[in-house]
Amino acid sequence: MAKLEVEITVNGEQHKLKVGSQERLLDTLRDKLKLTGTKEGCSVGECGACTVIVDDQAVNSCLVLTAQVDGSEIITVEGLESKSGLHPLQKAFIEKQAVQCGFCTPGMLMSALALLNTNPTPTKEEIKTALEGNLCRCTGYQQIIDAVEMAAEEWGV
Amino acid sequence: MVEYQLLRAHSLEEVLEILAEKKKVQILAGGTDLLVDLHQQDPKFENIDYLLDITDVAELKGIKLGPEEGEIGALTTHAELLSSPEIKEKLPFIGAAASSIGSTQIRNRATIGGNLVNAAACADSFSPLIALGAELVLRNKGGARRVLLEDFVEWPNQTVLKDNEVLEKIVFKMPQGKYYSSYQKIGRRNAVSISRLSLTLLAEVENEAIKNIQVVSGAATPAPVPFREVNKYLDAKDFAEIDPAEAGEIAADEMVGITGERWSTPYKRPALSKLVERAVKDLLEEAGYNG
Repeated sequence: MAKLEVEITVNGEQHKLKVGSQERLLDTLRDKLKLTGTKEGCSVGECGACTVIVDDQAVNSCLVLTAQVDGSEIITVEGLESKSGLHPLQKAFIEKQAVQCGFCTPGMLMSALALLNTNPTPTKEEIKTALEGNLCRCTGYQQIIDAVEMAAEEWGV
Repeated sequence: MVEYQLLRAHSLEEVLEILAEKKKVQILAGGTDLLVDLHQQDPKFENIDYLLDITDVAELKGIKLGPEEGEIGALTTHAELLSSPEIKEKLPFIGAAASSIGSTQIRNRATIGGNLVNAAACADSFSPLIALGAELVLRNKGGARRVLLEDFVEWPNQTVLKDNEVLEKIVFKMPQGKYYSSYQKIGRRNAVSISRLSLTLLAEVENEAIKNIQVVSGAATPAPVPFREVNKYLDAKDFAEIDPAEAGEIAADEMVGITGERWSTPYKRPALSKLVERAVKDLLEEAGYNG
């Protein structure tokens, strides 16, 4: 099958790529761009480990073909850290011990970032709704919610 | 092997042109169901030659609610529905159904049109729209036809949409006067949950009586249908004459009349009965009737 040409911006960097018609955004990120922070968990859109931000919205990258996001701006977990250091969300996750095995963490961070980008002062319920598509089998979620609350407070200042 | 050529349409005209010219085309909207099946090489898609991505077609998006009539574009996402102030104010039960679907990530991609065309027996978008008496505008290159939503599904995952047609929009009359609505869903958990049962109740109310009512359930029958017997029991009835428990029993009887006794009946019968009873009780309470 013919390859399709797409142009995407990932973490501020532009990429011109040839992608297959069945290639998911998840595959492109991990296999072509070697951005392996984004994880493949269930592959059916239930676990949220593959969550990235596409044009300001959290999406499951296992449920999007790369050809569909031609022209889009994508943020992955690798886009959080800057020259000035860790992102407030990353710092809060460490501070609140919201990471155990770490597999769900990139997806959690992306869902949290999408939330705080549109709603910098979320309620606890809004945080839970934003994270409801991200499964964590270690923490029991409380530390993660605490971390997002902390990041919202610190980031907002 | 599932193999296809991916085509991307950027206008409705382009979609209709491709559907008219090519055979074995599968339309891709939000993709939250379809891409799972394609990735898993579901044999059901072995005979497709083309996957037509329509997510970029602006004409198929958007919500317009006028004083008399309303329409929702097929590509409107569940996230757009639940964040729309207009929907929240005028058709809150549609927003409630949208918010009960999947997760934030799913709602950001999944479309109301996709939910209808996919036509899963548990799909959450049917009952609120059937309660509204919604019609679907199905368009091909030659023109458009309208199909009543309750006549759209023939069997789970099987609709009357033809190969050369696309679902353009959902159209309906806006509820008039004083009305009450509720949407309820039972799932195994609160989020990312597949409906075991869902229910929409939409009623016009006047002078302590029901003027017009629609009770529609999702996931109770193979294809979603209005509960005609319950509607008949409640329609044009004074509040004082209504027994919510009886309405629940009538609905449960009607469901079993359609499905027959199934493995899930011992659960679904009392569950549906209580859902209807609760919805009717809430209606009476909200309408200020104290019995």
